[in-house]
This record gives sequence, structure tokens and C-alpha cells, in this order.
Amino acid sequence: MADAGAEERRVKVVYCGGCNPHIDREAVAADLPQDDPDVPRGATVHVSGCLRACASDHQLVAEGDGRAGAGAEGASAGPERPPVIVVAGELVDGVPTPSSELAAAVTRKLKE
Amino acid sequence: MALKTPEEFVQSLADLHLQIYLFGEKVDDYVNHPLIRPSINCMAMTYELAAMPEYEDLMLATSHLTGEKINRFTHIHQSAEDLAKKVKMQRLLGQKTGSCFQRCVGMDAVNALYSVTWETDQAKGTDYHERFKKYLRYLQEEDLVADGAMTDPKGDRSLPPHQQPDPDVYVHIVEKRDDGIVVRGAKAHQTGACNSHEIIVMPTIAMREGDEDFAVSFSCPANAEGVSYIYGRQSCDTRKLEETDLDVGNMRFGGQEALMVFDDVFVPWEHVYMCGEIEFSGALVERFAGFHRQSYGGCKVGVGDVLIGAAALAAEYNGVARASHIKDKIIEMTHLNETLFSCGLACSYEGVKMPAGNWQIDMLLANVCKQNITRFPYEIARLAEDIAGGLMVTMPSAQDLADEKIGPIVEKFLVGTCDTPVIDRMRVLRLIENLTLGAGAVGYRTESLHGAGSPQAQRIMIARQSNLNHKKELAKAIAEVGKPWEKSRVKKPTAVAG
Repeated sequence: MADAGAEERRVKVVYCGGCNPHIDREAVAADLPQDDPDVPRGATVHVSGCLRACASDHQLVAEGDGRAGAGAEGASAGPERPPVIVVAGELVDGVPTPSSELAAAVTRKLKE
Repeated sequence: MALKTPEEFVQSLADLHLQIYLFGEKVDDYVNHPLIRPSINCMAMTYELAAMPEYEDLMLATSHLTGEKINRFTHIHQSAEDLAKKVKMQRLLGQKTGSCFQRCVGMDAVNALYSVTWETDQAKGTDYHERFKKYLRYLQEEDLVADGAMTDPKGDRSLPPHQQPDPDVYVHIVEKRDDGIVVRGAKAHQTGACNSHEIIVMPTIAMREGDEDFAVSFSCPANAEGVSYIYGRQSCDTRKLEETDLDVGNMRFGGQEALMVFDDVFVPWEHVYMCGEIEFSGALVERFAGFHRQSYGGCKVGVGDVLIGAAALAAEYNGVARASHIKDKIIEMTHLNETLFSCGLACSYEGVKMPAGNWQIDMLLANVCKQNITRFPYEIARLAEDIAGGLMVTMPSAQDLADEKIGPIVEKFLVGTCDTPVIDRMRVLRLIENLTLGAGAVGYRTESLHGAGSPQAQRIMIARQSNLNHKKELAKAIAEVGKPWEKSRVKKPTAVAG
């Protein structure tokens, strides 16, 4: 996993190692709303190239993320807990999403 | 409720008074029937090992619903390590029984339904997941066996379920009532069906528009009114009816398949987990198949261990164990067997945590695992037959060996190495026969080919997930496809002075 220079950005991107990419990981990261004030600072997006979800430690939904639709075991996410989104191949938080719509789907979730 | 003992399991099975038919007759005392009992012994082994501290790490798990220790066969996988332990448990049971032990289908069904019911609820606002969790808790607390019933007879494969001349070739809803549904149809090749307390029905294919009545998943007791079983024959099965057990090969254990018939069976709503949601039927089929394709990376490997051991013993008893080609064949069998195990473990360790909270195997690697299972046991079996020699299929019977006049002749000419009793040589050869072309071959060979989906089903899944475009891009980059080519820079090789 590699952190793509998160300190100076609004959204931290965590990549998997990239051995089996079904999607263009860099393109997804490039289209994320880094300057959008509606996106809470400190948000994290795990970007894995395939369904194995290595960037998020093999979890299709981040541990403890409590947004609506964020999995069966999510804890409540208050303002002090910025969102964590998981992209794994053509899944966003476990929901099938065409590769061309991944960044848009992540952006919507970041603003929820 | 504590874990059941093997004896309690057998008694609980007898108490069900299942409607089982065999050779055209209803079998009342099925737990003591010589054709059926070996398969019950297999299932009982899943209880026996669970009570032994030396196998507890694999056989038991902690329920995420209750925090109690439960048999792993009723567990929802909570980690990649859980998935791997499942495979190791299956290898262990294959080793202990030399047979299909049948309890995996229910485990794979509950794990597939766990995430699919959750996802259906998220999309449709239904309450299937809570119903299912309540049922799962019942299975865990009572330590029950559930049959995962997926494969419909399917009739004309070119037609969808709703266009079949006889719709009963797919299990379907014939009536919806205020208190539940009524279902009709059948499930074929049901492994361990007559050894189960419960039945969990799932659709057999991804359903399309018009097939809503066939997109149905539910559970019911194995002895529900209207459910009956027609026991499937196995190669050489009537040897189990003979007075002697030598010629069976595997005296104590065996597999079991049955045709399960639903004749207008009522299912209350609390046990319905899919009712017309065609868009989720495909996911349920794929996930159950995926878990079951992983399973084979454990159970068939355990049986393979037994067969490799039998082949090595046959070589020893023949006095050829030190021959280099025999050693090489044993190495090849081991290599193939461990490759299968590697696939089972790989799809486990590359598994993911689903949004529902359970862990699921890597689908591509699970399908690769099963595709190898459709081939390698055949080669392992061929090598075992090669080492065993033709005597495996030309050997006189147990009755001949026991005969006062013929017996000494059989003993005289079937002798191998002088320190090996002839009876032991015959036992090992019969075991190899059992696994390669007798009753055990149903589980070790044909089930390896068609169980959890025939080979083409895996190839479709492999094609779907192969990421071929990425591979083409890799090749283009290495070969510099698309890069301008400068003819003028091409020079003829200079002759090397020499």
C-alpha cells in the first residue's frame, strides 16, 4: 500500500500494490474532489485494482465506517470521524459500479 | 444446547422418520441400512472429531451471533483465517473417512445466503437477513446438519424455467398465502440429503424476467410434509449388502446422493429468504458455487492423501517401493494433491470481508481451484491404478479367500512380500478399487468433475474475471506495440571473428 501525498490534500488516497488492476486506479484518484469544500478534510479513499481489496486489508467496506449503506457492522460516524470509502475493482463500498463512474460515486459518498 | 455427540446425531436422524426410497421400496430403518449407514458414519465423524481436543482448532469456531463454541460447519466465516481453517478441516475429514463426508453443502449455503440476504434487504427493504440470522442461530445452537439444495433437474436446458413443458423440473412457488408459500419441484444429486436435519433451498441458475416464481430460497425440516428422497445408486453399491466387508474397500465410510422431491411443501414466511427477487438469484448461485469450489480444495485433497497412502502401501506389499519409477509416481501424485490444497488455501487467504460482515473467498482462485479438481484426481487415480497393478480388478472375492478348499490357493498365489499377510494386500487393493472405480469413485472422481458445477461453469467464471485487457496491455508494453519503427536503424549482424 502507498499513501499518495495525503498531507497536502483534502482526500487521502491509499493504493493497493497494483498487481492485478481491473480499473485505472490513478484515474480514479485523479478525479477525486481534492479542493471541494463540501468534502470533509481527512477523508480517506482506499483504491484497489481488483476485488481482493488489498488497499483496505481485504475489506470491501472500511472497518467502523458508519455511513448509510456502509456495511452491516459500521459504527456511528460523527463529525470527528471523516469518511472512509473503499474502491475495489468495480465496487464502491461493495456496490457494483462501472469503472467510468467510480470517481463520481466516491465523490457522492464523500459528500453524504 | 451443547454440541451433539455422534450417537446423538444418529439418534436425531432416526427420529426424523424421513421418507426414503431405495430399490423401489421405502426404507424405514435407514440408519441401520447397509447401503446408507456408511454415509451416516461419515457425517457422524464431523461430530466425533469436534469433540476431540486435538482437532478442536479446526473443527470448532466461535459464533459471531452468540459468542458460543459451535461446530465449524455451522459457522459464518469471520476472517481469511476462518476460510483457511475450513479448507484444513475438510482435508482432515477426507483423511479420516476416505470419502465425501457431505456436511459442506450446508455450510456453503449459509455463508452464501448470509451476504445475499443482507444485500437484498439493502436494495429492496425486505427483512430476509434478520429471518436468516434467526434460523442460523437455531442451526448453531442445535448443532444441526443442513443440506444446501441447489441443483434442479432442469429439463430442457435450452429453455428458461418458466417455459419448461413441466415447470416442476425447477423448484418453484405454486401458491403464496398470508402465512407462507407452497413449493413444488425437485433437487437432484443432493449430497448427504438423507443425513440432514434441515434443507436449505436455493435457485440453480440466475433467473430472468418471467422466472420470478423460480427465484426462491427457503429452509424447511428434512421431514417436512411432502418431502421425500429417492436414494442414488453408486458403482458396486450392492457389495455393501454382502455378508463380508472386504470387497467393499472402504468398510465404514461412504458418500450419499439422492433425488429430493418437494410435493406441495408449505414453508412459513419466517423461513423464506428469497421470493421473486430475480436480480439476486445469480449472486446466490455464484457465491454458493464459489464457496463449494473452495471446499473441494480441502475434501478431495484429504481423500487424495488416503489414495496416495494406499498406492504407496500397494507398492510396498508388491516389493517395488524402492523402484525409481514408483517413487516418481508417488511424488507426482503428491505434487498434484498439494497443488489442489494450495488453490484451496489461496482463494481463502485472498478472501474479502463483505459489506454484510462475513468473509468470502476470492472467486477467480476458487474457480481455478475447482477447475484443477476436475482434472487432478483423475490423474492421481490413474497413477494409483498403475502402481496397484491389474490384480486390483481381477482379484478373487472374499468368499473365495474364506473358502476351505479355494482359500489356501488364493493365499498361495496372491502373496506379495513375505512379511505381508495376503488379507492386508487385498484390503489395500480393494481400497484403491473403491476410490478409483467403486463406490468411493462417485465422490473422488465424478463428483470432482461435476460437483459444485461442471468444468464449463468454472471456465465461464474464469473468463469473466481473467482481466484479459490488462494482460494485453502488459504484452503491448513489453513488446513496444505502437512505437514508431525506424527501418534505417536496422543493421545486419556482424560476423564474429573466430
